[in-house]
Amino acid sequence: MSKIVDKELVKVNKELCARCGICIDRCPLDCLHPDKDGVPYMKYKDCWYCGVCEYECPFNAITIQLPYLVR
Amino acid sequence: MTINEMKADILIIGGGSAGCMAAIRAKEINPSLKVVVFEKGDFKRGGTIAMGMDALNIVSIPGGDSPEAYVETVGSTVDGILDQKPSLVMAQRSYELMRKLESWGARFRKDANGNYEMLKIHPKGKFCAGMDEPDLKVILAKKAESLGVEVVNRTIATSLLKSEHVVTGATGLNLRTGEFVVCSAKSTIITNGGCSRFMMPHSGHPFGTYDYPGNTGDGWAMAYRAGAKLTGFEFTSNAPLIKDIACPLLYITLTRGAHIINGLGQRIDNEGDIGVHAMLREFNEGRGPVLIKMDHLPEEKIKEIEEILFTTERPIQKRFFEQRGIDFRKQPIELFPTEYFLCGGHGSAGLVVDEHAATSVEGLYAAGDAASVPRQHLTGAFVFGEVAAEKAAARAVSLDWPCATQAQIAAERNRVFSPLSEEPSPLDLAEFEQKVRQTAGDYAVPPKNEWKLKNAIKWMTHFKEELKALKAADFHELAKILEIESIIYCIELSAIASNARKESRWGSYHYRSDYPEKNDAEWKKHIILQAGNIPGETLVSFQDIERSVL
Repeated sequence: MSKIVDKELVKVNKELCARCGICIDRCPLDCLHPDKDGVPYMKYKDCWYCGVCEYECPFNAITIQLPYLVR
Repeated sequence: MTINEMKADILIIGGGSAGCMAAIRAKEINPSLKVVVFEKGDFKRGGTIAMGMDALNIVSIPGGDSPEAYVETVGSTVDGILDQKPSLVMAQRSYELMRKLESWGARFRKDANGNYEMLKIHPKGKFCAGMDEPDLKVILAKKAESLGVEVVNRTIATSLLKSEHVVTGATGLNLRTGEFVVCSAKSTIITNGGCSRFMMPHSGHPFGTYDYPGNTGDGWAMAYRAGAKLTGFEFTSNAPLIKDIACPLLYITLTRGAHIINGLGQRIDNEGDIGVHAMLREFNEGRGPVLIKMDHLPEEKIKEIEEILFTTERPIQKRFFEQRGIDFRKQPIELFPTEYFLCGGHGSAGLVVDEHAATSVEGLYAAGDAASVPRQHLTGAFVFGEVAAEKAAARAVSLDWPCATQAQIAAERNRVFSPLSEEPSPLDLAEFEQKVRQTAGDYAVPPKNEWKLKNAIKWMTHFKEELKALKAADFHELAKILEIESIIYCIELSAIASNARKESRWGSYHYRSDYPEKNDAEWKKHIILQAGNIPGETLVSFQDIERSVL
């Protein structure tokens, strides 16, 4: 089976991300956690695509996409 | 696993719309009260209005349609199964509430003469005030925090504490740190919503868009276990929303001149007027889909609609329509019925409450989607959040501090943490939840009949047993097991209530193929559920409708 690379709904631009953690603090479903460098990633797949992380990010570093089943 | 023991005058379980407003009101009344909020997510964006709201659905403006007229119109939307006093109190306090929100910075839409934009979403009267406020929840949360409300974020409530027959607080689990929180409280208010993760959405994605997926009926399950009465659990409701993404947009488009057409190309709205059940009938009778057509509208109206839809409630909609190649100027929008769910705000399911937001158990109040004030929407969450706080505050000043016993704490801690293990779980949690919810979709929702409902109950009993073997690798998963347990309770209780109501009612929401007719003579009454004395036993009783207003 070919590798699926497009599973993460929350895309973080590491160059813009300041590791401030606001998105991690605000995520209503506890999806986002920091990786070893403090960059947020989707640790849990419970995304509601509410868009809070993208909206709250002060550095416009986040873009969310709708799950394939929804889009 | 540390234990954090706290005391509160008022403990609020759930920091969404109702909980946030309750916290603010309690501090307004008496700034010296210690007010604690358990919030499963983050207080600033927790709850169903995380990304804002485009309307305050029930407002009775002075000089406009009266609170009594609201009671009449809302009663007709639930076929008369409604106690009138709570709905009257809500409508009476609604204008003052709107002015208060406005004074805090929430923006309501007004016409050129400064009059509020009022939309007609009820059979009679204009009670829905248009609002443009993506940051409504942030405004409320900041207000609460500035008043000294103590928020315990990322904490799922696990059980209510009781001393004899009185509720004396609750326990919670921090789903990030694993901290076990014990909050002894003089008054406790449940405001943690309904059960949105009931059956699976048709898209197949486990989290529907409409309601906050963290609302898993936790408050109902714990209040039920503590002896509280529940009602309206047979009111399994859904709504025709945008297919797959399930965002609401109907009234925003209808009030700006959109037409509704069915799959046969027939226009089915009456000059912008159409009820939810009329649209659902098109699907149920094979004339779907239902489409919102706007290609006849002038550019300024289209822009206005886009402005509201793409900025306030769910901005992600913009990306959705772009990806599907839908331009409102050219293509219609396809609607589809959402999955069925339970909710005291859009539907009728919830804790039995009176007009003072008091439940049937001493020391326990409920507001918002957790409470059965049929079709109360956001206005109900705010008004009864305030009412609950007023009553809870009055009660708190007259009492001594309760204190949870060490035995109580140890027993609950053992129950909550027992699935935590380094061993692999025999079942995948997501798959287990999916099966539970698919079973709800197969047997506990319309069209219903006795065989299906009893089968739903049988399956839920089976799932409760299977749940005991599940393992959690971390605290997030531990919280998920607690959530799934609450979902199972809700499905089981809904099937019990649906089986008890031996008639059909509320359009398709409680259609029984074995009792296809509505029977007002026998069934114009509430169905009440309460835990029995034998473990696993549910007592079903009936209660007359309170009609003191009309």
